[in-house]
Amino acid sequence: MFVLPGYDAFLGFLLIAAAVPVLALVTNKLVAPRSRDGERRLTYESGMEPIGGAWIQFNIRYYMFALVFVIFDVETVFLYPWAVAFHRLGLLAFIEALIFISILVVALAYAWRKGALEWS
Amino acid sequence: MTIASVTQLICFVALSLTLVLGALGVVLLPNIVYSAFLLAGVFLSVAGLYLLLNASFVAAAQVLVYVGAVNVLILFAIMLVNKKEAMAEIPGLLLRRVLSGAVCLGLFLLLLRVDLTTPWAVPGPTPLGEDATTLIGIHLFSDYLLPFELASVLLLMAMIGAIVLARRDVYSSDVITGEAADQGLIEKERTPLLLESPPRDTTLLEKV
Repeated sequence: MFVLPGYDAFLGFLLIAAAVPVLALVTNKLVAPRSRDGERRLTYESGMEPIGGAWIQFNIRYYMFALVFVIFDVETVFLYPWAVAFHRLGLLAFIEALIFISILVVALAYAWRKGALEWS
Repeated sequence: MTIASVTQLICFVALSLTLVLGALGVVLLPNIVYSAFLLAGVFLSVAGLYLLLNASFVAAAQVLVYVGAVNVLILFAIMLVNKKEAMAEIPGLLLRRVLSGAVCLGLFLLLLRVDLTTPWAVPGPTPLGEDATTLIGIHLFSDYLLPFELASVLLLMAMIGAIVLARRDVYSSDVITGEAADQGLIEKERTPLLLESPPRDTTLLEKV
């Protein structure tokens, strides 16, 4: 049985958010003038004419950033229960969390040293 | 039936349909980018199912880690691979399909057996919402302290391993054969992104 409070607003928000793209596309279909030009077959790219195909090889830099991001995302998930239960845990847990973070600072320092964070 | 239980049932059916159809799409669609985006939908549906089970922290972690990070990683991994190179014909496709189908069926039967034999009833009242998250925090810093600290070491190892694998210039030669390592990935990162793209495709405009 679902008993979590405060999710009525969440459900309403979800429904409105789901309606936005549908409404945008339907309104566009009804209101926008139809063009028979060849340009309408181009990919929409914020008003610019697209350059090249979409199937280009991405720079490996992005992959490095994504990897580093995954690591620190998981760290956030581990630290979140600590932050919520902070007042009931006391000083020992604070020191333990500091150890946890300092081990991950080593990871950050390694990534920094190896140039995984550089954008050039 | 109350309004709440009907709402829950509708949510469950919608989430399950999205999950199963999305998962089928992930496996069956020929375009791997569509599969990756559908996988994000599958992860989101799983987060919704966690919410229905009153596990708000697990749902938030699911969205944060799987949708926010792992799926982005998968997309970048796909976009690193140049798709235009023709795929080589795979020999023995039928045998491979039968074998993987058998493995999947066996795994499914195993899960079904676990589902049917596990007593699912939880003893005592379960904490909800923020109380549950607080309880997770308290357990994490008392009973499960060593696994918690080991998790940071695991994350450290994952980070170092990922950087070593992604930056091949750590090894200038292959460890086993002694030949020069493939420096292609490193060379490509030095050229700007736009220069790599092929010249503009003007055929569509010329047709006008």
